Amino acid sequence: MRSEPESRPDWDRSGGGRSPGLDELLSRVARGDRAAFEQVYELVAARVFGMVVRVLRDRAQSEEVAQEVLVEVWRNAARYEPARGSAMAWIMTIAHRRAIDRVRSATAVTEREDRVARMDVHRPFDEVAESVENNLERERLRRCLSGLTELQRESVTIAYFGGYSYREVAELLKVPLGTVKARMRDGLIRLRDCLGVER
Amino acid sequence: MNGGQDVHMLAGAYALDAIDDELERRRFEAHLDGCADCAHEVRGLAETAARLGQATAATPPPELKSRVMAEIGQVRQLPPVVERPGSRHRFVRERTGARVAKVVAAAGVAAAVALGALAYQARTELDQMRTTARQVEAVLAAPDARRVNAAEGQGVAGTVVLSRSAGRMVFLASGLAPLPEDKTYQLWQLSPGQAHPAGLLRPDDSGYTAPALAVPVKGATSVGLTVEPAGGSAAPTTTPLLVMDIPAA
Repeated sequence: MRSEPESRPDWDRSGGGRSPGLDELLSRVARGDRAAFEQVYELVAARVFGMVVRVLRDRAQSEEVAQEVLVEVWRNAARYEPARGSAMAWIMTIAHRRAIDRVRSATAVTEREDRVARMDVHRPFDEVAESVENNLERERLRRCLSGLTELQRESVTIAYFGGYSYREVAELLKVPLGTVKARMRDGLIRLRDCLGVER
Repeated sequence: MNGGQDVHMLAGAYALDAIDDELERRRFEAHLDGCADCAHEVRGLAETAARLGQATAATPPPELKSRVMAEIGQVRQLPPVVERPGSRHRFVRERTGARVAKVVAAAGVAAAVALGALAYQARTELDQMRTTARQVEAVLAAPDARRVNAAEGQGVAGTVVLSRSAGRMVFLASGLAPLPEDKTYQLWQLSPGQAHPAGLLRPDDSGYTAPALAVPVKGATSVGLTVEPAGGSAAPTTTPLLVMDIPAA
């Protein structure tokens, strides 16, 4: 048996081959290696950009944000600590926060409330399902998302892809705040276990 | 956001970046600092959220790469963070974002610590800021911290967080209009028939104040914010813009 554990996505494989993993590349980037950074760019840019576009919708703004994120990866490479999580998750976390910051700073509170009122609850999930790049990953994510209750799935995807705060999600779904907090947590836990995310 | 149980329920929302209330998020982070299990859970959930994010790849235009490569030529890299006690969850919230900037960084105090921007500050000022930041953190992180929010017309809003065990309360306001040179905002603790001065506040350009610390006065039931002549007054001379109950113990 030489197969990778199913839970390990392709970007994280340092494998036995010649291509270094993202962790290794980042530690070179931390030492100022531009060539290594270029490789990091190739490995992550499409995922960063794809997620940011999904959250912001606007491509021009998304390019700006993606650029900020990638420059931040360069700047902060020395601060990535493998013990705290995978390199890809570190980068996606930076990217998601930047995207959310943009959503929240760009939109006045009243507009956001309006947006909450208008949002199509079912769209984020469909979009996720449609836009997954890799077949295996797509199937696994689809399967795992469909293993959540409807409220768990909606709470998680509307927050993540819609950039909604848990209060906004609660209002949108007409459920108490405590319920939304709980569904976000147990929904993510179920997703984590289903995806086999290493802890 | 009362008991520890309730705070812990925020782990999912936190991993999804779905806590838009700065104070609430900072308080949760403070909670993570003291709870290794929680920090561990949040790491796993953040990792899971990141997997959701990777599901949506889209090829960026080729110019993005040239812009990024050009920009990094001009950006100095940051040194590694030297481990300090009480910063175990750094992976989870390595922040440089605008959100911190909004409420607290604008205020400069706690956020300066969070952003590592302190290197630029003079030494003494730095120590003072650290002390204030620590005290603010202590209030926010206290298990008995209680919070009250209030908003008045014209977009003025305030938050009071009180911890009896920390013996202090923290006051934050937003939406404050700039004042002429000869005026200042002043905070008061109000007890029936009496007002105790609780410090002068200066909003930044965005109308936010730095977190103000006060030791609760015996008998005080609310805090109020007024506009006073520069230097402050011994007793309020104008009608309060904002009056908020001090949270009950």
